[in-house]
Amino acid sequence: MLQLWWNGLHGLLQVRELMFLGLGMFVGLFFGAIPGLGGATALALLIPLTYGLDAFTALALAGGVMGGVPMGGSITAILLNAPGTAPSAATCLDGHPMARQGKAGLAIGAAASANAIGGIIGTISVLAILPIAKELVLLFGPPELFLLAVVGLVIVATASRGRMLRSLIAGGLGLMMSFVGYNDLTAVQRFTLGIPYLWDGVRVVPALIGLFAVAEMINLSVRGGAICDDPKTVQINSMMNGLLETFRHWRTVVRGSLIGTVVGAIPGVGGTVASFLSYSMAMQASKDPESFGKGNIDGVIAPEAAINAKDCSCLIPTLAFGIPSGAEMAVFLGILILHGLQPGPLMLIDHQVEIYGLIWALTASCVLASFVGLLFVRPLAMLTLLDSQILVPIVTAVALVGSYAIDRSIENVLLTAFFGILGYAMIRFEYPRLSMVVALVLGSTAERNFHQTMMMGDGNPFIFFNRTVCRVLIVLLIVLLVSPWLRGFAGNRRARILATQGSSR
Amino acid sequence: MNLTPKRIFGESPKRIFGEGWIDALPAMVILALTVAFLIVGYRYPPLARQFPITVAWVILALAGLDIASRIDSPIGAALKDRLDRGGAAAEKIGSRRAQFGAVVWLAGFAVLLWLFGVLYAVPLYVFASLRLRGYRPWLRCLLGAATSTAIVWLLFSAALRIELYRGIIFGGA
Repeated sequence: MLQLWWNGLHGLLQVRELMFLGLGMFVGLFFGAIPGLGGATALALLIPLTYGLDAFTALALAGGVMGGVPMGGSITAILLNAPGTAPSAATCLDGHPMARQGKAGLAIGAAASANAIGGIIGTISVLAILPIAKELVLLFGPPELFLLAVVGLVIVATASRGRMLRSLIAGGLGLMMSFVGYNDLTAVQRFTLGIPYLWDGVRVVPALIGLFAVAEMINLSVRGGAICDDPKTVQINSMMNGLLETFRHWRTVVRGSLIGTVVGAIPGVGGTVASFLSYSMAMQASKDPESFGKGNIDGVIAPEAAINAKDCSCLIPTLAFGIPSGAEMAVFLGILILHGLQPGPLMLIDHQVEIYGLIWALTASCVLASFVGLLFVRPLAMLTLLDSQILVPIVTAVALVGSYAIDRSIENVLLTAFFGILGYAMIRFEYPRLSMVVALVLGSTAERNFHQTMMMGDGNPFIFFNRTVCRVLIVLLIVLLVSPWLRGFAGNRRARILATQGSSR
Repeated sequence: MNLTPKRIFGESPKRIFGEGWIDALPAMVILALTVAFLIVGYRYPPLARQFPITVAWVILALAGLDIASRIDSPIGAALKDRLDRGGAAAEKIGSRRAQFGAVVWLAGFAVLLWLFGVLYAVPLYVFASLRLRGYRPWLRCLLGAATSTAIVWLLFSAALRIELYRGIIFGGA
């Protein structure tokens, strides 16, 4: 085993491979930073470039891209509240408030180090899991995947303390939107209002650009001033503190990385769920959950660690079963096939050196991208001082054109504008956008797995109780639903005791 | 007789519910949308509607609870306390005029893009925005419009080789 790891690393440590890895990392960083583009677009555009490369070098290039994208996405998520990639949307929730408080340097420093450490933990986990990956992935059938989606939604709703009802409603709206479009199971177009564009459903990336980038620009435009509320407080020099903060919050890093690794290994779930789940778990575990959404550094570290850890583990279903976990992995599958590497269980046996080389490339790219991101903290943090009247039109223009560029569809622009207005309304009326995003991403998967489960059980819902993983997930679901009530009772009791003690004095 | 809101609703015209009426509006809109969703949903075959309809009924119940929690009554207060106490105080909310203006500018830009395409809409929008909302000098507005158009062109057209949308008026599909 160690020999294989070394062979993979040795293959990567060649000048040519390192050059392509670096090129991929810069391309990934750049594409990750532009809202609406991201890893899938970068890889798709680089496919022609890999024609003349051998398989190992092509994988180094692809690994470089995939490792660089998350850091790019985080930078714009923190500075502009415009997540370059969908998973980075979770980083916006606390990263951007930090930028507004003048702590952009601290947030980017923490994001960069969490990114790097998450990538390393993800790699270690994958190297450990890979030999038993097949058995693990096979444990998750449609009933488990359905319950996992429900657990994901409930975690997010219960994490929004004090806004559970509004969070559930926002999640429900997200689910309703996810039902729009062609239904594979019944071959019926649903809720499309006769608009052909909606036949493919509500597209997630334009919706995300709207909900986060555009909505924030509307908010900034209404609020006036700069992104940073008080320009005098901008601390661009606190990058090292950001690095130290990550080590101080090591529990969040480890938890986020493990969540990323587990979620990434489940086909079809993807990075958005990993990052939001990690964020919600960090909030659940925090002693000060009220500070989340207002610039809590745990809210930056948790999703960042999960995103990069996920990048490594989502190779497992892609390579072992040919099941991509998202658009980026689907394009990556194309690169594999183009170079004669047929994904499937045999690939884990026949192409082990390439696989380990790819894992090392991904990890090296994560770490490199974090360093490069740190180098640019100072000039990037200055963006938060720009007057909103200058920033808003430029960012709105780039965001809407970026939305168009996803698949050259002008309808994307209209969808982004619609979600921008909806996102602003959600900010204004305090409905958590987080629940809507997770529901939008998980809705179709949940429905498909629900129907498949019903078919498996001949319409009998007791099938959920006959499977071990399902039973564990059901118990988790009950705990999650009951815990806010128990916490409420415990809090009220504590308050009563304190009041009694106070009056007796 | 002069029917002012004050005469109809009493001393506090905006407080139909426990909060300002505007805060109860989203719950009512969601309720209406969910009813519409259910009406449309029941037209689909049983298998196609099974899951969406189940979700919609749950949302209907939740939206009902949301509205109930906003009514000034002991039940409303109890519901609010248990389910939707509210998080931190909302950040500074601009005037309704500013909010409406920001939304109209965005919608206007989306329509401009659709009609005239990227290379006309972007400079027009940036120039108008800087001049009419930011009150910047003419020259700076022109410079801002040119720079942002150049950024968009360099990024999407030159670097990524993406054909920029030409606008429905100029033959864009």
